Amino acid sequence: MGHKRLRFLVLVAAAMVFSLACGGTTGGGGTTKTYKIGLVTDIGGLNDKSFNHLAYLGLQKAITDFHVQGDVKESKSGDDYIPNLIDFAQKNYDLVIGVGFLMQEQVGTVSGQFPNIHFAIIDGAGTDSKGNDLKHANVQSLYFKEQDAGAMVGVVAGWLEKNGKAKKNKHVIGAVGGISIPPVNHYIAGYKWAAKMEDPSIQVLVGYSNNFTDPAKCSGVATSQINSGADVLFQVAGGCGLGVLQSAGKAGVYSVGVDADQKDADPSVIASALKKVDVATYTAIKNVVNNQFQGGALTFSIANDGAGYSIDNFTVPADLKTELDKIQGQIHDGTLTPPSDIPA
Amino acid sequence: MPLGSVIFAFILGAVIVAVTGANPFAAYSGLLCGGFGIGCTQGENPALEISNTIVFTIPLITTGVAVALPFRAGLFNIGAEGQLLAGSVACTAIGIKFSTLPTPILLPMVLLGGMAAGAFWAGIAGVLKATVGAHEVVTTIMLNYVAQWLVRYLIIGGPLQLAAGTSKSQPIGAGARLATILPADNSFIVFGLPASVYRVHTGLFIALVAAAVFAFLLWRTSFGYEVRAVGQSQKAARYAGVSVRRTIIFTMLIAGAFSGLAGAVQIAGVDHNLTDKYFSDTTGFDAIAVALLGLGSAVGIILAALLFGALHSGGAIMQSDAGISSNLVLVLQALILFSIAANFVGAIRRGLPFGRGVTPAQPSELPPAAGLMSEAAVPPPETT
Amino acid sequence: MSALGDVGHLLLTATLWQAALAAAVLLLLPALGGVISERSGVVNIAMEGMMLTGAFFSVVADLAWHNPWLATLVAIVAGGMMALIHAVVSIQFRADQIVSGIAINIFAAGLTVFLVSRIYGLQDIGHVGPTEGLPYIDIHGLDQIPFLGQVLFNQNVVVYIALILLVATHVVLFRTRLGLRIRAVGEHPMAADTAGLNVFAIRYGAVLTSGLLSGLAGAFLAIGISNTFIQNMTDGRGYIALAAMIFGKWTPFGAFIACLIFGLGQAIYDNNSIIHFSPYLLSMLPYVLTLIVLAGLVGRSIPPAADGLPYVPGSE
Repeated sequence: MGHKRLRFLVLVAAAMVFSLACGGTTGGGGTTKTYKIGLVTDIGGLNDKSFNHLAYLGLQKAITDFHVQGDVKESKSGDDYIPNLIDFAQKNYDLVIGVGFLMQEQVGTVSGQFPNIHFAIIDGAGTDSKGNDLKHANVQSLYFKEQDAGAMVGVVAGWLEKNGKAKKNKHVIGAVGGISIPPVNHYIAGYKWAAKMEDPSIQVLVGYSNNFTDPAKCSGVATSQINSGADVLFQVAGGCGLGVLQSAGKAGVYSVGVDADQKDADPSVIASALKKVDVATYTAIKNVVNNQFQGGALTFSIANDGAGYSIDNFTVPADLKTELDKIQGQIHDGTLTPPSDIPA
Repeated sequence: MPLGSVIFAFILGAVIVAVTGANPFAAYSGLLCGGFGIGCTQGENPALEISNTIVFTIPLITTGVAVALPFRAGLFNIGAEGQLLAGSVACTAIGIKFSTLPTPILLPMVLLGGMAAGAFWAGIAGVLKATVGAHEVVTTIMLNYVAQWLVRYLIIGGPLQLAAGTSKSQPIGAGARLATILPADNSFIVFGLPASVYRVHTGLFIALVAAAVFAFLLWRTSFGYEVRAVGQSQKAARYAGVSVRRTIIFTMLIAGAFSGLAGAVQIAGVDHNLTDKYFSDTTGFDAIAVALLGLGSAVGIILAALLFGALHSGGAIMQSDAGISSNLVLVLQALILFSIAANFVGAIRRGLPFGRGVTPAQPSELPPAAGLMSEAAVPPPETT
Repeated sequence: MSALGDVGHLLLTATLWQAALAAAVLLLLPALGGVISERSGVVNIAMEGMMLTGAFFSVVADLAWHNPWLATLVAIVAGGMMALIHAVVSIQFRADQIVSGIAINIFAAGLTVFLVSRIYGLQDIGHVGPTEGLPYIDIHGLDQIPFLGQVLFNQNVVVYIALILLVATHVVLFRTRLGLRIRAVGEHPMAADTAGLNVFAIRYGAVLTSGLLSGLAGAFLAIGISNTFIQNMTDGRGYIALAAMIFGKWTPFGAFIACLIFGLGQAIYDNNSIIHFSPYLLSMLPYVLTLIVLAGLVGRSIPPAADGLPYVPGSE
């Protein structure tokens, strides 16, 4: 083939690829419909630097990529879940996303009232009052294997303790949870399991602040763990947990962030357990825009890059890096499975 | 209700909104839409908005009464929230334990159980006050916190918990539920929406009856006379043969019963289970403002509760439609309270129940036992 | 019960009492303010709102100027302004002081979050940098004293200030002429007026002082203990301070003891990672304790005689 022909074919191919890619941004099939997406946040508010914030980021990215109309309703208390969800539903939004485990029952109720509206819920399903999944066809559940992410940072903590590379090296680490609910406990389960795997003599202190918003409350629990010898603290408490990071910094020990990469939250943060709520939110919206919404469950884990970890403010020793890659590979291919319940 | 003061407060609120660069008209139209279904521009359903307002209003009526009654006796029931929680807990516990019983038996059981629990909770404070003179503000604040943590204890890892890892209780039995006014049917369409979205329940009637009972109690019974007498002056009441100690205890018991009833009605009518949101519930505190705003009259309390319910409902719509933080609603509530208490508008009509808040032109009535500082049940020794 | 053993062990650690004292100070400052205000005859249940206002403005100022001292000053002034509203409404307009106090609390709760949304939008108000908070100071030398050294001399700067203020308040109130005047105005405003005291001025001053103290507490909470502002971050501490004030019979040291009990409760609760007992039942501890003490030991709480009554010159 001559050069000119080859170049022409390449140009045509490029044009085809280009138009296919751009076709997606106007909502599939070339229609000019503007999809309306409603996001109902949980009580932590958008300021939590993790959970609700990530969902919001996912929405923002979808607005940029797909030109959807995105609206947010912040729930100030549990009383607001139902009015917020119904408000979007009765305005015929194309997708109503509930951010959080705590609103499962409400999503179950409202999805039953509006069977023609698509719902997605993060960390849960549409349930009845007893917690049974109603399996409504118009509800998509976005689950996460937080234990995968927790395990990775648990490896970091355990390895540091075993090799004497932490700050106090007493083989004591801590985790501060918000409330004892599954999404929180999954993280802690993976963390404890992996840490014990790395360092069998390790002691993992688990405490709860019973609060997701106020850093002062988590500060207190963190300080108590530090006073008991913990020198790596894992925060699993949303906005409150930022107090954990701060206390660790003040005490000169290490801390671990949660949900999003929290390296800027405090210099003491050496790693973050990542839960890609933004990816999940974006994916749910993308499915709707491409008319591919399907009820049922989607699970995000290390296997599909929906969960993971980051290393922050810290230079990883080569041995630790090797260990991390090894464990991640084993979780990815199923050789190792972090538990979802906190081991004894 | 002092309408002029309320309007003045809204004007002040508009100024605050404008000063921070937002649009007061957008804010208020959002409030009107969410509160009363008037002027909705974003496709909200007016019937739904009104329904939501009423749902928020119902508990405020009964707890408003629970605060207003002790005010008349010179007691400050800041513990209405704790008493409400006690009622919710009792209703839930009974509703779960006896969940198989039918409605004619179970429903009165849970409601009466709620009243008893609330009365007990308030009674602790009442007895402490009447016997050792323990200040009801301190004791009821303590009891509020105890009640909050009791709720958490019961539903997280405790006996009422639904399942491990959840933070809510099992649902109450069907017989313990208050019916909604419209059938809770997803296929029955009313005003364009499935009937089940309208959550207004028969607890509304219970609340209205409670307000009527309050008025009757206060103005038509000898007990009510004693309450008012003690509120005016404990000394004078004692001379008139009223047992101040007994009046205080009974007042708190009845107030607690009202609050407990409100809590039970919330569970039976709206939530049907106890969840962690009750830990941070503020109904009992809003009720203080409702009682003050309602000037202690039954009709006033109902109207004040309606206003606060509308503001609660309206705030959410205002936030999503006009982009203005729903916390503006709290600012407005405060401005209304200031406006009425300080009588900015200057209207001198009837005095407040405690004889306060009159303009400088009039001498103030002096019910020394009213308000926060009240004398002990027994004549105090000389002050130091 | 292993839980009792855990708590027992805990009570022997200095770090527990260190945390308890810090938590107590957070309550002590507004409680002192309440004492001063009510001793002058003005019922003040607005500590919650004044503290929250101080917390908010301390963060705003610290984010803008990166100077914790300046930020604290702003917080103190902000608390004072809230107090001024309460003072004007209840002294000048003779509004019911309880209504005014409650209104202040609601106003502050709403205004702070409303301003966050207006100034910072839907996003976070932001965090104060690690070097921009109110500092913790070890007093070298004294902090080496076994046990007490860590409890008393290894604290945030505000704790030291608060303890000084505690003593100062007591001295002023009970040993100086100013204190006498304040108390006179609170007990018999009519007589005080006749004797030539400016009742209004003294009451304004007392209420203002309570605002300044509460504002300081807010700054301690927001940029000392924490590093940001969260909706309702005072979380009822103003009301507990009120209870502490009454429990302490309107005296500074009495209030301090009550604050210590509550602070201890908070500190024990924070240790729920190592105590084998329901953290929720643990939380109830300080409140139940208070009820028991009130029932048995404290006796009657007598407020200043003219507390809560607006002063009308020339009336009975």
